[in-house]
Amino acid sequence: MKLNIEGLLVYFPYDYIYPEQYSYMLELKRTLDAKGHGVLEMPSGTGKTISLLSLIVAYQREYPLEVTKLIYCSRTVPEIEKVVEELRKLMEFYSKETGEKNNILALALSSRKNLCVHPEVSSLRFGKEVDGKCHSLTASYIRAQRHSNPSLPSCRFYEEFDAMGKQVPLPAGVYNLDDLKDFGRRKGWCPYYLARYSILHANIIVYSYHYLLDPKIADLVSKELSKKSVVVFDEAHNIDNVCIDSMSVNITRRTLDRSQANVETLQNTILKIKETDAAKLKEEYRRLVEGLKEANVARETDIYMSNPVLPDEILQEAVPGSIRTAEHFVGFMKRFLEYLKARLRIHHVVQESAPQFLKDIFEKVCIDRKPLRFCAERLRSLLRTLEIADIADFSAITLISNFATLVSTYSKGFTIIIEPFEDRTPTIANPVLHFSCMDPSIAIKPVFERFQSVIITSGTLSPLDIYPRILDFRPVTVASFTMTLARTCLCPLVVGRGNDQVAMTSKFETREDFAVIRNYGNLLLEMSAIVPDGIVAFFTSYTYMENIVASWYEQGILENVQRNKLIFIETPDAAETSMALEKYQEACENGRGAILLSVARGKVSEGIDFVHHFGRAVIMFGVPYVYTQSRILKARLEYLRDQFQIRENDFLTFDAMRHAAQCVGRAIRGKTDYGLMIFADKRYARADKRGKLPRWIQEHLTDGSLNLTIDETVQLSKHFLRQMAHSIHDISNCNVQCFCQLNLSQEDQLGLSLLTLEQLQSEDMLQKIAQIAHQA
Amino acid sequence: MRWEWSEVREMDDQGCPRCKTTKYRNPSLKLMVNVCGHTLCESCVDMLFVRGSGNCVQCDTPLRKSNFRVQLFEDPAVDKEVEIRKKVLKIYNKRDFDFSNLREYNDYLERVEEIVYNLTNNLEVEGTKQIMEAYQRENRDIIQKNKAKLTREQEELEELLLLEQQGNEQRRLETLQEEQRQLQAKRKSKQALLDELERSHVPATILLAQHKDRAAQLETQIEKQKQVVKTTIFSTGIPMGQTVSLLTVNRLEEVLYHYQPIHMHTYGPPVPELEQLGRLGYLNHVRTAQPQDMAGGYNSGLACHRAIQDAFSGLFHPLG
Repeated sequence: MKLNIEGLLVYFPYDYIYPEQYSYMLELKRTLDAKGHGVLEMPSGTGKTISLLSLIVAYQREYPLEVTKLIYCSRTVPEIEKVVEELRKLMEFYSKETGEKNNILALALSSRKNLCVHPEVSSLRFGKEVDGKCHSLTASYIRAQRHSNPSLPSCRFYEEFDAMGKQVPLPAGVYNLDDLKDFGRRKGWCPYYLARYSILHANIIVYSYHYLLDPKIADLVSKELSKKSVVVFDEAHNIDNVCIDSMSVNITRRTLDRSQANVETLQNTILKIKETDAAKLKEEYRRLVEGLKEANVARETDIYMSNPVLPDEILQEAVPGSIRTAEHFVGFMKRFLEYLKARLRIHHVVQESAPQFLKDIFEKVCIDRKPLRFCAERLRSLLRTLEIADIADFSAITLISNFATLVSTYSKGFTIIIEPFEDRTPTIANPVLHFSCMDPSIAIKPVFERFQSVIITSGTLSPLDIYPRILDFRPVTVASFTMTLARTCLCPLVVGRGNDQVAMTSKFETREDFAVIRNYGNLLLEMSAIVPDGIVAFFTSYTYMENIVASWYEQGILENVQRNKLIFIETPDAAETSMALEKYQEACENGRGAILLSVARGKVSEGIDFVHHFGRAVIMFGVPYVYTQSRILKARLEYLRDQFQIRENDFLTFDAMRHAAQCVGRAIRGKTDYGLMIFADKRYARADKRGKLPRWIQEHLTDGSLNLTIDETVQLSKHFLRQMAHSIHDISNCNVQCFCQLNLSQEDQLGLSLLTLEQLQSEDMLQKIAQIAHQA
Repeated sequence: MRWEWSEVREMDDQGCPRCKTTKYRNPSLKLMVNVCGHTLCESCVDMLFVRGSGNCVQCDTPLRKSNFRVQLFEDPAVDKEVEIRKKVLKIYNKRDFDFSNLREYNDYLERVEEIVYNLTNNLEVEGTKQIMEAYQRENRDIIQKNKAKLTREQEELEELLLLEQQGNEQRRLETLQEEQRQLQAKRKSKQALLDELERSHVPATILLAQHKDRAAQLETQIEKQKQVVKTTIFSTGIPMGQTVSLLTVNRLEEVLYHYQPIHMHTYGPPVPELEQLGRLGYLNHVRTAQPQDMAGGYNSGLACHRAIQDAFSGLFHPLG
């Protein structure tokens, strides 16, 4: 269908459109027009991805000079693949409608591990190994050495690509990871470098968050992307944590020991080189005297970690004289390491700010701030000069040097916490130095500054105003869209009491209470009897789940539940969990139904969808607050309060509620889906918690469904499920990918939550649509 | 688990090279280090240097007892280097503003580093010492002058630390004051209750109830005050004027408010509807909206409509 969005012709590859999709595109178009940033919330399963893609592609075609590139960031490889598939569908629709060949180049980019086609390298198991091995074959100086000594091993794919691949650009089309690999194999070119080279002129790039947010990777991959790009962060509800993780450094005793070994290797290599090839060190020295103007030639293949967001003015300056020669620098690193070791030899927790740390380090070992700031850059240069092939070995010292640079560059937004032992095991000495970032805006700032439009979107972004504040940017559009439904297919219920009127809550004081645990068990038991197919239950933490399941077992509740359904449990082990998931799905498929016990913030809650019969009910046991005793969290809360005026409680509740919403949102993955959402904690009934749920859930949470007892819940659920089970038709032409059985005929939805082109153009529908967007 | 064990051993491995006591066997073992960078434990030092001076057991350098320091680092060479470095930096204390350009300053820094390196690794010790002495003689004035001065970086650091301290102090004082104030308020209300019970003729139960009410009010007030955070500024420098509450508005279920459009008497000709402005041609005379304006929901009709309202109202105002 062809749409007219405020004068922009948009090709939409389906025959029907949801009203909120139209509204979403409208807001998006305005954001692009204004060349600003946007925060958009739309429920999962309403076709966010295709709306985004079709509008931005249309915009690109219409104004090729205004928007040259779309950078679509997603979280996991399966999600990336899904986006590429949608894009492929859109492109096919374009060529069918316009009849001409498309000249848009779209590709996915992932790590070497997912893209390598070299028979030996790609068989390695871990990403780090693949990177290291690849680097030892393709680094520029290794290839230079090969000129004199051709017997050294090489990667023929890279050589071939280097010789041929750069002359002709990648032909237009849509490439997912497998397409790239196929193409690479056919041509004999390295798909990874081909993709990295091609993103410079591609129209659409789909890759992971880290390629933009992690300063070490972003500097290599995304540095040269055009300013006139539109950046989309999909599933962005966790973006602040990604930002923080990418800037934080944890140093343990083991890191230090490994760095010590690294330093010794460096020292020996320097001595050796001094005897054999002193000119090389002299050359480096000369370069450093001149300043850090980088030679761009070698940059492409040398994946030496680059400096995390080093301000440009420092790059222009020359390296301070005290670390200019190689020996002096190694001595400097030695002193720094010894200092860190001494700091880790403590018996009580220390928390200090960056300036305090810098002052102390000057007093103890006479290290100034300035050389520290150049540390990462200096190490990079040294490693390159010494021509050390396997940089995976040097990750420890690189980490230390990154820490040095960060601690001396930022005086605000970071805190240093040294803990002599873990909280859980106070008797075992295991000192850790956390250099933790508290301000997510530091990592994301370059993105907001560089690109003209950045769109942050997800199914759960409520409350909307908090994201612009913690990421410190000014959006031009902030909007939340609800789901228009032909029937109320979600049923959120807040269960507050058991049948014995004991309040149900995971509050710390009462969570071990026998009555609470029993009531939780009863709730699960009752639900297992009435809900068909799959039930997913989320707990607040692994330890809590363990405790509860153990006492359920003792009380015989588990046995009773197992009469109705099979039970599967998520564990911290990834392999075990995926096994459990597989069996869970099998059990749901063959009709018996199953229960999956999992954990909020775990793997299941973040990435697994429970469409249709895989999840007819989600039970959230308790409010998933983070572990508030951790010092890092405390420091972050303090920082938020001082810098952004966000109260501790507000942030904690916000964080808990976004995870709760993520969990319960797993069950509804489209308009034809239906599911119960049971919040089993009386605290959910309070306005401050309830108000932080996304609007599309809040809408259906009436006063009648608050603070229920278990039998009331059962009553309401039965009613809801019976209603939903009516009218089974079959439709195949739905625009969200759902191939399972559908309980809702298309005619029912048409005109209400599914629109044809004619309906879309009618006057009163347009007015209705205008109301969907809830301007925050 | 094996690496853990080896690690523990490594940490306990440190020991006195003379009497072979290790930290593992004697947890209170204190290692000392002198200018030559060789370790001895405290008891050995006491025994060997009874007369106040002697030679190093390992390198035979003449040492004084008073120069022994507690070993801070695992590698005694670093202790030695830091010692030397501090000495050297006392003499070579030129700051970056003593040089005309950065290049010279960096060259100077490198020279200093060279000296420290030579002294630590016992390379050309005599020659280096001579250079140092010569430098000291030549630059006596500058050295004296710079003794009290800090480098620019250090000054910045000091400033930051000061700020941090002030902030902490202020926060502490504020909370203290707040507590004091609350305590006083509570005491006052208690006193008031006693006074009233003494004088008033109202039954005591009512008075007590009133007091309870007041106390509750006070409590909520205090709560509210606690929540009001002091306004500071964003890290970007944008001032934050208000505390923003994150609560969405509660939905009221009881009686719905019925909106009745206000009938305004404009004393003027009827103003055309917003939707009709374009058709009637009014919009041709207004600046079209920029894309930046449109994103926020603005369109040129709004401004035009307002301007027409302004222009039309009061035209037919009845006299008198």
